[in-house]
Amino acid sequence: MPALYSDILLDHFRHPRNYGSLAAPDISNEQFNPLCGDRIRLELKFDQLRVSEARFKGDGCAISTAAASLLTELVLGEDVEELTNISDAQLISALESNIQPARLQCALLPLQALREGLKNYRTNPLENQ
Amino acid sequence: MEELFDDIERLAHAEKRVAMATLVATRGTSPKREGAKMWVGEEGRILGSVTIGGCVDARVIAESEQALSSFKSRLVEMKLGNEDAWEIGFSCAGDLDVLIEPVDLTRPDNMLELYRAVRTAVDQGKRAVIATLLKESSRKLLIIEGGEIAGSLGTSELDNEAQTTALDLMRKGVSSTVSLGPDSAPVFFETHGPPPTLIVFGANHVAMPLVSLAHDLGLKTIVVDGRPRFATRERFPDVDELLIGIPSEIAETLTYTSSTFVVLTAHDYKYDLPVLRVTLPARPAYVGLLGSKRRGAAIKEFLRDAGMDQSLLDQLHVPTGLDIGAETAAEIALSILAETVALKYAK
Repeated sequence: MPALYSDILLDHFRHPRNYGSLAAPDISNEQFNPLCGDRIRLELKFDQLRVSEARFKGDGCAISTAAASLLTELVLGEDVEELTNISDAQLISALESNIQPARLQCALLPLQALREGLKNYRTNPLENQ
Repeated sequence: MEELFDDIERLAHAEKRVAMATLVATRGTSPKREGAKMWVGEEGRILGSVTIGGCVDARVIAESEQALSSFKSRLVEMKLGNEDAWEIGFSCAGDLDVLIEPVDLTRPDNMLELYRAVRTAVDQGKRAVIATLLKESSRKLLIIEGGEIAGSLGTSELDNEAQTTALDLMRKGVSSTVSLGPDSAPVFFETHGPPPTLIVFGANHVAMPLVSLAHDLGLKTIVVDGRPRFATRERFPDVDELLIGIPSEIAETLTYTSSTFVVLTAHDYKYDLPVLRVTLPARPAYVGLLGSKRRGAAIKEFLRDAGMDQSLLDQLHVPTGLDIGAETAAEIALSILAETVALKYAK
């Protein structure tokens, strides 16, 4: 069984990758946990239909921050179809930690931002050209 | 402060001539500080107070009416010894100097324009000082934070000395009479600034009484949280601003002055760490963190490891509030505000 908080989770929490904002993102979506208050905004920029830049910003617990940081690495170079196929299990697995059921919502918050962002991106095709 | 400006506008619409009484010096104890004002209108309106009412204010009203009749300024010295104080029921036993200046509101260049200029500066988040030569109160110098000045005390030497003194008093946020020049001429410095503001990060149960009490104390209040279900008008009926979003991102957009008090009530590192990274370097008057000494030490260690300077960490008040044995949310709120009041008066 993996550790409660793996070294990779703690490293991404203490040194989050791709933290910040993009000047003109193609996708920007912010999600929050209504009770515990984690709030994460994910931003993506496409170049030739693939993610060329990814950033996240937010105030979250170690799990949600590390998950957002890892997600910004997972999405680089992916196209919309591949982004859609990123699964819960894939992100959970990347954390290499024993995420308890009560904390799954924290771990999946950035993925929720990605999915909502993709949904908006698809439903507003004119704005995306 | 806002009360003063509101009084001015009310009088401007209702009176033609008013007397402006200003508490310019106190010796011993006094219920009000230098800068307190009372307005006495020719038509009988009275706004404000230089004490807490009673005999002293009554004398000021009588002197104001005489100043309006003669239309000459006067400096009234009220030397109340202890015996007199008890006799007339003035329990504070202090001596007061009150400057009374008649103002003709029908003249376009009347003194209220000076206060409107101060209000404009304050609305822009700046401090401003009006320096008045007490032996000739028509000589005034307005000094606005950032270098703008208007008027004169009569000589360039006095003006230069007054600017230096004004900057010091702006920093302290107090009004005071100071002797200037080779003749030690008393000059009253009336300091104005943005209203003290309390910014609370975390819309929890401690924040609710904290904001209500702060409102009663005259502070502008701002509550920040990421949760719309917590940061509601229903929970914070007295709050001036409710801001919902990423707390540390909101923190970056706020203005921090020597009149800003920041309290982190979330008791959650997910807010505490990123918000402290923004607010401590901004150097407001106060940054307090809800939590035990042990928790505070852990938070400081994390920030220190992340590269924050020790001098900034030393500014953090944790546990926030005076140790009065507070247990309930309201008591904790009281202890926090007691600490900010003590800081304000350098106690």
